[in-house]
Amino acid sequence: MAPLLKVDDLATYFYTQGGVVKAVDGISYEVARGETIALMGESGCGKTISALSILRLLPASQVKIVAGQVLFDGVDLLKASKKEMRKVRGGNISMIFQEPMTSLNPVLTIGRQISEVLELHQNMKRRETVQEVIRLLNLVGIPQAERRMRDYPHHFSGGMRQRVMIAIAISCRPKLIIADEPTTAVDVTIQAQLLELLRGITRELNTSLILITHNLGIVARYAQRIYVMYAGRIVEHGPAQDVYRYPGHPYTAGLLASVPRLDEPRKTRLTPVEGQPPDPLYPPPGCPFQPRCTYGVPQCQRSKGDFVEVTSGHYSSCCLAQNGVTPWEKT
Amino acid sequence: MAVVASTSQPHHTLWGDAFIRLRRNRLAIAGGIVILLIGLGAIFVPLISPYGYAKQDLDAILQGPSWGHPLGTDALGRDVLTRLFYGARISLAVGLFAQAIVLAIGLPVGAFSAWVGGRVDNIIMRLVDVMYAFPDILLIILLRAILGGTIYMMFLAIGLVAWVNVARLSRGQILSLKQQDFVTAARAMGASGHYITLRHLLPNSLGPIIVAVTFNVPRAIFAEAALSYIGIGINPPTPSWGNMIRDGYDVIFAAPYLMIFPAIAIGILMLAFTFLGDGLRDALDPRLRR
Amino acid sequence: MGKDLIIEVRNLTKYFTVTSGLFLQKRIAQVRAVDGVTFAIHKGETLGLVGESGCGKTTVGKCLLQLYQPTGGKVFFQGKDLCRLSEKELRPVRQKLQVIFQDPYGSLNPRFTATDIIGEPLRIQGIARGRAYRDRIVELLNLVGLASYMADRYPHEFSGGQRQRLGIARALASQPSFIVCDEPVSALDVSIQAQIINLLDDVQEQFGIAYLFISHDLSVVRHISDRVAVMYLGRLMEVSDRDELYKRPLHPYTQALLSAVPIPDPVVEAHRATIVLKGEVPSPINPPSGCLFHTRCPKAFEPCSTVTPLLADTGGGHAVACHLYPASQP
Repeated sequence: MAPLLKVDDLATYFYTQGGVVKAVDGISYEVARGETIALMGESGCGKTISALSILRLLPASQVKIVAGQVLFDGVDLLKASKKEMRKVRGGNISMIFQEPMTSLNPVLTIGRQISEVLELHQNMKRRETVQEVIRLLNLVGIPQAERRMRDYPHHFSGGMRQRVMIAIAISCRPKLIIADEPTTAVDVTIQAQLLELLRGITRELNTSLILITHNLGIVARYAQRIYVMYAGRIVEHGPAQDVYRYPGHPYTAGLLASVPRLDEPRKTRLTPVEGQPPDPLYPPPGCPFQPRCTYGVPQCQRSKGDFVEVTSGHYSSCCLAQNGVTPWEKT
Repeated sequence: MAVVASTSQPHHTLWGDAFIRLRRNRLAIAGGIVILLIGLGAIFVPLISPYGYAKQDLDAILQGPSWGHPLGTDALGRDVLTRLFYGARISLAVGLFAQAIVLAIGLPVGAFSAWVGGRVDNIIMRLVDVMYAFPDILLIILLRAILGGTIYMMFLAIGLVAWVNVARLSRGQILSLKQQDFVTAARAMGASGHYITLRHLLPNSLGPIIVAVTFNVPRAIFAEAALSYIGIGINPPTPSWGNMIRDGYDVIFAAPYLMIFPAIAIGILMLAFTFLGDGLRDALDPRLRR
Repeated sequence: MGKDLIIEVRNLTKYFTVTSGLFLQKRIAQVRAVDGVTFAIHKGETLGLVGESGCGKTTVGKCLLQLYQPTGGKVFFQGKDLCRLSEKELRPVRQKLQVIFQDPYGSLNPRFTATDIIGEPLRIQGIARGRAYRDRIVELLNLVGLASYMADRYPHEFSGGQRQRLGIARALASQPSFIVCDEPVSALDVSIQAQIINLLDDVQEQFGIAYLFISHDLSVVRHISDRVAVMYLGRLMEVSDRDELYKRPLHPYTQALLSAVPIPDPVVEAHRATIVLKGEVPSPINPPSGCLFHTRCPKAFEPCSTVTPLLADTGGGHAVACHLYPASQP
């Protein structure tokens, strides 16, 4: 069955005074209907930019999507007209952002902000939306919905504001939700509440979910398949269980080894990933991870990042990974 | 211990970085050049011009632009171009010296208010609000009447009115900087309040203040022109653009250019400072860096 | 005071008053940021202080260093009560008490070079000058893994992880015996966090420095701490040795916290039960009566809403403030 979303060789470049920044440098991923995938990587790897590229929400003056296709239900979004994109945003694909305070308009009540989406996409009049807004607020677990819909964002805590964002995101029953670091700004107990809520809702409505995060634990708990990003490229992808058990790329292996785990005996010393992410203006030749990699061979500098199969359905762009045999140990 | 590699960017100080960015802004450079040219003209006009600013030639009054007098002569036969450059001295002096007074009063008041905080801060700011609410021209006129007619008192009058803006600005800057961790770190080391204000707070608040002062200059220039126009600014025969406009008004139908040229001069200088100020603001904004 | 104790905090409280009004400054509300906290840290030991945002852990750190004036309680450093010292008397003591901040961007003056930043404690405390000053700077730079030629660079020329190293070098300059580490790795990328944690570990071992390690990240705290204290809304809920806390968490809040931390292993996660707390964290201006946690506690019962449980030892140095355990009865 064809995937709901297929991103094919997407490339987005920033044109700055210092030079060209290849924020996203040829990535491909897909999401099936009802599936939850994770786009995992650290700051600057390009995961947020790739999501914004899908919805074409980037400022045209400095950024350009230079290549690729984004097929949503068979239609290439990168070629769609502005009018068609506006229908897609919020209607078919909605996005949840990291900072609820800046993503909610501080001078509008939250009821108004939710009804705004309904008015735009479902052609409802303001009066008709009231019942639906209350229903949505109840769905996301905000108590006393009739009263609270007249409150402003600053009356809510961070966790509640994220619930409002989720309500806005699901209001038009989108087929796909993109959640960009939705819980980075909230505490771990609130994070658990929000992610459980999101999981419940996506299951009930059979919505696909792209979870963008740097948190290895969240990915393990909620994602079925994962794409690991580094320096604007995807370095590894596959079913979550396989990637965690048999990491096919030294970056993934390094990350997994460097994080202290609650369920394992305590190590006396952590094994960090040495070095730092590359300067986006001066990327290293060949494999972007190679300057930090302990397993590098001369071939790495000429690597074009082609994928090799590690296990079934699990691919890595490392030239050393072949048929599940890697020089680094499984975690 | 493993040594970590550094970034591959070329090495700049923060001021150096700002200067490079400023250089790229053409309008700002244009503004700077205009100011420089007017300034040099104002300084060297006695050497360049064959006329003095007070030299009357009653045989050649109210003449239009000609080779001998590129901008014409006024009602007393004085050369307009020469007088314009002498007037530029006044405008530039007022613009700059008044700002010196603004900085000398506004910066410490704002900084002190922010550092002390609490009730004192509250009271000082309400006083600032009261002063700010008065129309500034009226206050300046009042101060002129009290302080007297010399040009130095003019600097003082304008400065005493315009400092409130900078005080507010410096207070705002210091207040937000006070919260920063590097200030807390300094306190944790045992730094005194004076040290923190001088070495941490003030240097970091300079950016917006420099910009504000640059934008204040055209306002001071205009204030001087306005005062001279209504007769309580610079007294004749010393030319100032304001009193030149006033003199021009008397013969407006015979020689309209006598009003127009000084007015244009005011406009150009004000615009030049504004462009420069815009450029400085963009160059000094840390967020726009790269 | 025991000969090995370096920090002892007794009943520390810090209330912030919210006022309004121009001249009269009417008090409208009081935020009970820290409401009676007691603990002790030994020489060379790390006490992890965990809790979520708003629980008061950062305020505890600042009160310890006298960056806030505590509203009540005592803070003993090597036997001296810091709260009773004037700022002048406190100054020489500050050499021994240092702090590392969370934000690698805001904790360094953007107009100072690396040398200025690291050397500031040396200048303010008059520890070193001239040749000795420069040598010490280079020594510190190398200690934290930075090359000597970076001494003249500005913060914006360093990456986040490198800036944290600068912050650590600055904290080490005056040879402190105690450092408050306020979320030192939370703002860093995952791949850099382990580097900095190892550095903190190494430095502690080399110089015998005690840490108060404040964090919301339970996995990191478990790695670096010897003992752990759990805080909620300004009070301590549980304090114990590290292994004991993670193996046998007694307080329902600790249990919920641990359960909420996702483990980077999909197979393990698929079989884990999650305790999801209901409701939001109450406001510290209007804290609940009795046990502060009772409004969200899945195990709350009769006395929880009326009687405040005491933080009491249930045996072997494992203290908990919960009515489920008889020791907590007042």
